[in-house]
Amino acid sequence: MNAIIVRRQMVNALVLVAATLSTAFGLAWLAWILWTTASKGAAALRPALFTQMTPPPGAAGGLLNAFAGSFAMIVMAIVIGTPVGVLAGTYLAEFARKTGAGAVIRFVNDILLSAPSIVIGLFVYQLAVRPFGHFSGYAGAIALAMILLPVVVRTSDEALQLVPDPMREAAVALGLPRWKITTKVVYRAASTGIVTGILLAVARISGETAPLLFTALNNQYWTSDLSGPVANIPVVIFQYALSPYDSWHALAWAGALIVTIFVLALGIVTRIALRQRHRHG
Amino acid sequence: MPAKVEMRNLGFFYGGRRALKDVSASFPANTISAIIGPSGCGKSTLLRTVNGIYELYPGQRAEGEILIDGEAVNSKRYSRARLRRNVGMVFQKPTPFVLSIFENIAFPVRHYERLSRREMDERVEAALTQAALWDEVKDKLKRSALTLSGGQQQRLCIARTLAVRPEVLLLDEPTSALDPISTAKIEDLLTQLARQLTVLIVTHNLQQAARISHKVIFMLEGEVIEAGDREELFVNPRDSRTSDYVTGRFG
Repeated sequence: MNAIIVRRQMVNALVLVAATLSTAFGLAWLAWILWTTASKGAAALRPALFTQMTPPPGAAGGLLNAFAGSFAMIVMAIVIGTPVGVLAGTYLAEFARKTGAGAVIRFVNDILLSAPSIVIGLFVYQLAVRPFGHFSGYAGAIALAMILLPVVVRTSDEALQLVPDPMREAAVALGLPRWKITTKVVYRAASTGIVTGILLAVARISGETAPLLFTALNNQYWTSDLSGPVANIPVVIFQYALSPYDSWHALAWAGALIVTIFVLALGIVTRIALRQRHRHG
Repeated sequence: MPAKVEMRNLGFFYGGRRALKDVSASFPANTISAIIGPSGCGKSTLLRTVNGIYELYPGQRAEGEILIDGEAVNSKRYSRARLRRNVGMVFQKPTPFVLSIFENIAFPVRHYERLSRREMDERVEAALTQAALWDEVKDKLKRSALTLSGGQQQRLCIARTLAVRPEVLLLDEPTSALDPISTAKIEDLLTQLARQLTVLIVTHNLQQAARISHKVIFMLEGEVIEAGDREELFVNPRDSRTSDYVTGRFG
């Protein structure tokens, strides 16, 4: 008996060590990336980063037009993709939980979810760039929306399915109509999950470069017209990092650092806000 | 006493499986009727036919007649909205909405009636008082319902149901997830409510049935074995299976 227990304890200890080391291994890379980004980017962190445009080679400058362009395209992508995504997720969770149609839709959604973003970029190029003869911020926003959409569909579907059925039954038993149950009861209960899903999708599209190469391309100058090429952070980082100029390298690292902080802040702020809401109704 | 709720030759199916076999039962007005029986005997199924909530699920269907005040409520012609306004239901696990305490009650009321601010305040207070919860929550109506304890949440669900003024109240093991003190409060509450409403309660707890019910229905494997007054059924049951169950020989 003793030998069996001892052996079991040894195996337990071994696996525990292996699991801990694996975690440490993964985290170490993450920590290293964050550290590198922070140290290289911090050197270029100056107020000018947010007030000046992308400079010609060798000159000093900032990333204002790139931030603005990225921001505009991301917001547009959210506006296009989120309502469609949440409504599709609602259909799946409330009306097609176990049906054949639901299974097919979920499968197709998963395929779109894992489609390489460059393929989506190429598709939107064909659809929204070639017919018009020029790159545009609108095309960029469409491409980002198509990457955001399946994430929102999937996370909304799952968040809504997590709402316990007895809550729905209680609402039905009160005689409330389906649409009121879905909007005021189910959405409220699933709000944290849905919003988290949207944030995940936003975090994902914040850094997508390949689709923007085919759609928004890039722009050295400030533009408030989204129907032409628009500056954006990922492509600027791409272009500047591969260049031979040190000033451009510094800007690329700074851009990467800002994007990282942005995504982190997004997550933290929303979690806090939603947790407060749950506590105080 | 006239039957408020009645079933005649009721059969119920979960897909191909028959869960209720030719059930006939009547529940008098202004009484508490307890439906008792071992797990799987069809008590909850029977309860859920009264407000038609099984219709949410494809594959579940009822045959026969379910009558409230003499009207057939499971026919296509009887409005579901009217049925569910008239029949309230409380579930085993408390199901507060993710809203404030006030909104939990105001929201369903608002669906049926257009009340002024003051009238709504009064309605909410009345419902919470009826559910013996007003004193505990009157200072925190705007707080989320999720901050309440289990027993309080269940009383909130009862208040919510009462606020739309039903005539029949269905309860499916409402206290099985609660501590004895909350259970006692809810039992007192039900006894009071029976003066105005008809209460049907499914319970696993024979002592609870003995404490609060006026009429008891004993079920086994989808059939009603015996129905009668509380004293009769517990002290002098006619069927041997009933006496076996209430004396605890099985269950």
